[in-house]
Amino acid sequence: MIFNNFQFLIIVLLSPLVQGIIKKLKALGQGRVGAGIFQPYLDLIRLFRKGMVISKTASRVFHAAPFVVFLSTLAACALVPVISANAEVFGLGDVIALFYTLALGRFFLVLAGLDAGTAFGGEGSSREAMVAILVEPMIMLAVFTAAVAGHSTSAAQLASNPHIYSSPAYVLAFCAFYVALIAETGRIPVDNPDTHLELTMIHEGMVLEYSGGYLALLEWAHWMKQMLLFTLAADLFFPFGIGMDPVRAFVLYSVKMAVLGAALALTETSRAKLRIFQLPSLLGGAFVLALLSIISVIALQR
Amino acid sequence: MTPRNIENYHRVQPGEFAARCAGIFHAGGKLRMMFAADERETDGRMNIYAVFSSIADHGSFDIITTAVEDEGGFRYQSITPRVPAAHWYEREMACMFGIVPEGHPDLRPLVLHGMYPEGVFPLRRDITAADVRSKVDLAKDDAYPYKTVEGEGVFEIPVGPVHAGIIEPGHFRFSAVGESIYFLDPRLFYTHKGVEKLFEQVGFERGIQIAERISGTSSFCHSTAYCLAVENMRGVEIPIRAKAVRTFLVELERLYNHIGDIGNLCAGTGFAAGYAGGAELKERLMALNHRLTGSRYLRGVNRLGGVSRDVLEDVESISAELSVVTDEFKAVMKFIMSSISHMERLEGPGFLSREAAVKLGATGIAARASGVNDDLRTAHPNLFYDRIIFEVHTRNRGDVLARMMLRADEAACSLAMLRSILRKAKPQKKELMAADAQQDARPADIGGGRQALGWVEGARGSIFYFVKAAADGKSPLRVKVRSASFCNWPLLPLAVLNDIVPDFPLINKSFNLSYSGCDM
Repeated sequence: MIFNNFQFLIIVLLSPLVQGIIKKLKALGQGRVGAGIFQPYLDLIRLFRKGMVISKTASRVFHAAPFVVFLSTLAACALVPVISANAEVFGLGDVIALFYTLALGRFFLVLAGLDAGTAFGGEGSSREAMVAILVEPMIMLAVFTAAVAGHSTSAAQLASNPHIYSSPAYVLAFCAFYVALIAETGRIPVDNPDTHLELTMIHEGMVLEYSGGYLALLEWAHWMKQMLLFTLAADLFFPFGIGMDPVRAFVLYSVKMAVLGAALALTETSRAKLRIFQLPSLLGGAFVLALLSIISVIALQR
Repeated sequence: MTPRNIENYHRVQPGEFAARCAGIFHAGGKLRMMFAADERETDGRMNIYAVFSSIADHGSFDIITTAVEDEGGFRYQSITPRVPAAHWYEREMACMFGIVPEGHPDLRPLVLHGMYPEGVFPLRRDITAADVRSKVDLAKDDAYPYKTVEGEGVFEIPVGPVHAGIIEPGHFRFSAVGESIYFLDPRLFYTHKGVEKLFEQVGFERGIQIAERISGTSSFCHSTAYCLAVENMRGVEIPIRAKAVRTFLVELERLYNHIGDIGNLCAGTGFAAGYAGGAELKERLMALNHRLTGSRYLRGVNRLGGVSRDVLEDVESISAELSVVTDEFKAVMKFIMSSISHMERLEGPGFLSREAAVKLGATGIAARASGVNDDLRTAHPNLFYDRIIFEVHTRNRGDVLARMMLRADEAACSLAMLRSILRKAKPQKKELMAADAQQDARPADIGGGRQALGWVEGARGSIFYFVKAAADGKSPLRVKVRSASFCNWPLLPLAVLNDIVPDFPLINKSFNLSYSGCDM
């Protein structure tokens, strides 16, 4: 089916909605009414229509970063199976390739944070680099758990392997992946996406100098990355439903997204942010879970 | 009339001033405020006043005053080296009156920024607001010599004066190594409004409206302190019912501030549910404010000589509302304290030592959370405070957690006081205004002339007003406002030392100081 080649558009087009739903759930959790779930779309339209204020000290990196971040995230989205594991034209890709495509975007975003020459951008960048160093080994180990068990690093193959998610190793790997998901999407307890306190920002610090269309691209890319990681969690750890007829597969996929989004909103509402130097304990703990999971997978295979 | 003199004015020779002040301070007398008054039109001199809590006579003030002569510029020997709590007051006087404290360790301009004309001292009587305004040059470069740390790996982080959220302007210059704060030099006073000058122009009655607008969340305490100062000056004793109303509203203001602050600390750690709980309860109290007084910020109640309305009439409905608030407050505190991730963040950062709090003249929550038992409600009881029994709470840890827990203690205490005032305020005594409110009951020669202090312990700490009438008695010659934030801002750089940059907003919230409220 030709449609399968464009399944990544689901992520591109629905990622603002997922963000809107998470924000709505958070608002409800705090006893507020909150904005409508389509607000992120309106925000994007608003930002694209606005002019931009750009620092005089900004170099070409600053101008290039929004495009690199957006396109690398888009490319990563094309590598994951969303509702079908078959895609003839582009072909679905390798999970390792996926994470390092995302890393390209992060690299440019960190550079852009430093480029504008403000203190907050630099702070955000240095903290982002610190978090990235801690998250990367853990997320790769969690992914390898699935890869070793499924004898493949192809996202499509892993997603269409419905028998493997019963192992206890998967529970450990999923826990590690969930922590990584929080860190990668810049949410509490790692980062606070709603804060106005510039001294505490990580992701918001890096994008603080952006405005207008560039900011829209970066925000959109951030939401796409969030939904991409949700999708990957669904593919690797809850791989049922892929390959059904598109409608049923889509419904099942939507349910998975909603559950993950709700879990994230609940975590974010009920917890305080960690002190930044306690992040290594949280992320280190998750790393140990990931390590245990891969050891148990290898041990069980022998 | 008060049976004894609460305010004892001691005039000393300029040479003795520093020694006299240092003597009282080192014996434990707290410096309450220090200010100058341009009295060249009445007695031909610039006078400096230093207000101390008396050590020998509990409950009264010793006011040391001296004249500064014009010897090609006004100069006197600084008391800051011996009385550290005086450091901002002396810098303020240098800016506003051009009285130079010789030997002061830091003579950078405190209040007036680069755009203000040099050599124009706004609070001198011969300068008008229009004079200053016409000479302000917005284009002039504001080169302020920040104090920073130099060395390998030290970064300067400039923050503000415009911040990412809707907060007031203030600039913070951090010297940090990685995330650790080595030094912080704050620069405030971006919102100078010329309030003290304005007081001199509008007359006593309209002064209430100015006092109410100095600091939004301390509106009632400011206007009460101002009214008390004018009433003390005129020798007017307000009716008992008016005292009850004022005390009730002062405590109500403290309550909604403390509860709001406890909620705001949750915003500092990103604990959204806790913040929502605090905000909801605060809103309930603001609605009660509105119902009782017609103003969410309790404005328009205070009058010179009493209050304009009897807010305590509907005892039953107020009591019912207070018991709802009591229950909800308990629930909110239980919820917040059950969040380990939140409480963990509060423990440790923002430590202020008892010694620093005493030396720098800390007030309110900041002082009491560092173990300094200082509360004007017991140290200098006025209003209804000598009729109700309550305890001054203190905490010893001196960190963010101590300040939060102290707020919780005081909020619970205020709730109890509110109920106790409701019980004790006798409904049969209905007068709200003193009969002689508009006249001077006191002859000019009693108690050091037509001048007096007014004070209230507000939510942020002590608030002091000094009012001195001009020769005609119709308008003030000098109104000095000393808000709690003015005393506590200099503590912040000490409290953040060795903490990390991302904890600064939390530490700042734990003090919850007003920017505009300390900048007259």
